[in-house]
Amino acid sequence: MTEINTSKHIAPLVVLRMAFGVIMLISTVRFVLRGWIDAFYIHPKFHFTFYGFGWVKPMGATGMYALFSLLIIAAIFVTIGLFYRTAILLFFLCFTYVELIDKTTYLNHYYFISVMAFLMILVPANRYFSVDVIRNPRIKTIRVPAWTINIFKLQLLLVYLFAGISKLNYDWLIAAMPLRIWLPANSNLPVIGGLLSKLWVAYAFSWCGAVFDLFIGFLLLNPSTRKPAYLMVIIFHLVTAWLFRIGMFPYIMIFVTIIFFSTQTHLKIISVLRKILRAVAGERETPGIPYRLSVSKRNVIYAILILHFTIQALLPFRYLLYPGSLYWTEEGYRFSWRVMLMEKGGTAFFHVKDPETGLQSEIINAQYLTPFQENMMATQPDMILQYAHLLAREYQKKGIKHPVVTAESYVTLNGIGSRLYIDSTVNLTNEKETFDHKKWILPFHRK
Amino acid sequence: MRKSIYVALIAASTLIAVQSCKKSGSSSSTDNSSSFDNKGMLRNISTNIILPAYTSFQTASVNLDAAVSAFNASPDNTRLLALQTAFQATYKQWQAVSVFEFGPAETATLRVNVNTYPTSVSQISSNISSGTYDLSTFANLSAKGLPAMDYLLFGLGADNSSILLMYTSDAAAANRKAYLAKLSAEIKAAATTVLTGWSTYKATFDASAGTATGSSTSLLINQLVYDYEILKNYEVGVPAGVQSMGTTFPTKVQAYYSKMSVQLAILHIQAIQNIYLGKSTQGDGLGLDDYLVKANAKKDGASLNTTIQNQFAAALAKLQGLTDPLSDQIKTNPAAVTAAYTELQKLTVLLKTDMTSSLGVLITFGDNDGD
Repeated sequence: MTEINTSKHIAPLVVLRMAFGVIMLISTVRFVLRGWIDAFYIHPKFHFTFYGFGWVKPMGATGMYALFSLLIIAAIFVTIGLFYRTAILLFFLCFTYVELIDKTTYLNHYYFISVMAFLMILVPANRYFSVDVIRNPRIKTIRVPAWTINIFKLQLLLVYLFAGISKLNYDWLIAAMPLRIWLPANSNLPVIGGLLSKLWVAYAFSWCGAVFDLFIGFLLLNPSTRKPAYLMVIIFHLVTAWLFRIGMFPYIMIFVTIIFFSTQTHLKIISVLRKILRAVAGERETPGIPYRLSVSKRNVIYAILILHFTIQALLPFRYLLYPGSLYWTEEGYRFSWRVMLMEKGGTAFFHVKDPETGLQSEIINAQYLTPFQENMMATQPDMILQYAHLLAREYQKKGIKHPVVTAESYVTLNGIGSRLYIDSTVNLTNEKETFDHKKWILPFHRK
Repeated sequence: MRKSIYVALIAASTLIAVQSCKKSGSSSSTDNSSSFDNKGMLRNISTNIILPAYTSFQTASVNLDAAVSAFNASPDNTRLLALQTAFQATYKQWQAVSVFEFGPAETATLRVNVNTYPTSVSQISSNISSGTYDLSTFANLSAKGLPAMDYLLFGLGADNSSILLMYTSDAAAANRKAYLAKLSAEIKAAATTVLTGWSTYKATFDASAGTATGSSTSLLINQLVYDYEILKNYEVGVPAGVQSMGTTFPTKVQAYYSKMSVQLAILHIQAIQNIYLGKSTQGDGLGLDDYLVKANAKKDGASLNTTIQNQFAAALAKLQGLTDPLSDQIKTNPAAVTAAYTELQKLTVLLKTDMTSSLGVLITFGDNDGD
């Protein structure tokens, strides 16, 4: 039980608070500057909501920009530790709300941010070296129970481990897919460009990547390997940032894995910051109070954590409940730390038929979807179904009572060549979204 | 156990680092026998296909503008015929440059400025009768460019003598001539701007290897796919009623009034085919076909390149089986038109999904992260 209740110095938690806050601030500002609020949440006429979250709707231009302003303010407040619990709760709610609007933009690292923010609501990361402590020195705390720090280590360990496990498959290890397609795309890079089109390099990257993901969490946990392991974290993530379009993810991981370092290291970080900030911030050197939670509160938190980590441990395995090839059907694919595993592309043609007249129309998808949405939809069965239902509604409005909507989608996966993805004779109007296997997905054959 | 794995990890990464240093130190960029000569392909396409195409298009637009001036100075039947010929030559040459909407053409938004159709007769008429208009507005996109000239040169009357009257005795003749001059001048200016732009952009284009987003190959492929879909949807599908519960729109074809829609569609697909093959008057140079072969791209176990080439041939054959005017063919032989559409559709999948996926090119008409 030492990993749960032993009293530990609060420093790692405080550094995590600042690291997370800063990187979220940068991410959010970057998101706004790229014009993505407009591109992803205002411009699209239709949104692909998650199953069970159909009620989540975007708020219109003013609302969405206000929401992102709130996210930015919350990130700043988290960083400096001002009204911390409110700020991190607000950040979690706003961020998760945005992610729930449209699964087109689903990324594992957005999910990761939601998970981290959620866990951070539960811990007193503002009780040391924060504006909250300056405002109210009586809350200052030096020692916290170990769980408040270890839950983040456990979460990170799970993320890397599952990312590693998901790489243990034929395509990744034996076929060096999709890296043998993706790496040559960067053959224009200086120094290593020419090397990237060599096949053995794709194998080296695949295997090193798998080994890295599988073991890095444990190497970070072990004090004797920690420093070199963190160096590997930096190298690994910077290389991926350089080679692939994965946005802020590498930097987020580099920032948050600092949590693995010892108290001494974190105190050093804080003391450096203290020196820089000395002029502006004056926190009185008081011994601080021990962190005490009422038994009932503590039990609630324990219950939440047990539930959370049980879900975390099981969710990535839910794909086993579905028949068929996971990469092909994507049933149980999301929320499982499956990162950069597939080169999947598709083109989908939808047809609407009026059974009464026998007349039919091919749909110009651009009339309803953004190119980004269309691209993501073409290879994901649940999105194909949602779009088909949208088309059915639209044509009912046009006066066709029982429109027959069929989808003809051609999908290629890791270089196998495009083939029909779902049964193009099935009237998708009559198919319901459930957690069951979608029988109209055509079986996957490698040849 | 952990330690040994860790040691192995470090060793492996050091090995890679050393290898990469060695390579970069000792070899020049051309020494890549196993990898595709991406820059060679870009050079071939820019030097032998893109620049000659823009040069011809610009020349055609200069001739067109001159023909308009000559006609406007003294409109007669001979000059009308000469002008119509110059227009047809320009429209044909446009098919060879429509694809390249990146770099200078993207800056000039050349495609919508030159070829937005169906043209709006009512907008053109109101512009002519008012005599004051700003061609750069969004509303006037469908009242200018080649489609507007198509109407003004072929659509004003049943035959040339009645068309001629609209430039001579008609009350709005002076305004109409002025409008025609504005249109041809704008096309000429745009063509010249883009051609001039390419004289400097070519170096940028040639130097940007790889297929990552923003690279020249990625830009080229994205626009090739986009432009191909314009061909499939707007030159054939929409007029044939494929997207409108069978209701046909014969007047929505490209070059409705000059009745050369099929001819243009054939030139268009041939232009795209030549880019794919890297083929020009200089011979069959490096193209996307060679790239796919080098990448060993497969489709159902067979060579993807072969599949694509066969599908180009099949689609082309179907288009060649159609006859102008396409607007009539849609009414008289709709099955032939939809059959052509079906073959074009198959090629869409091969270009948009198979080719891009095999080369690691993202279809991004926008911008987003992945993970």
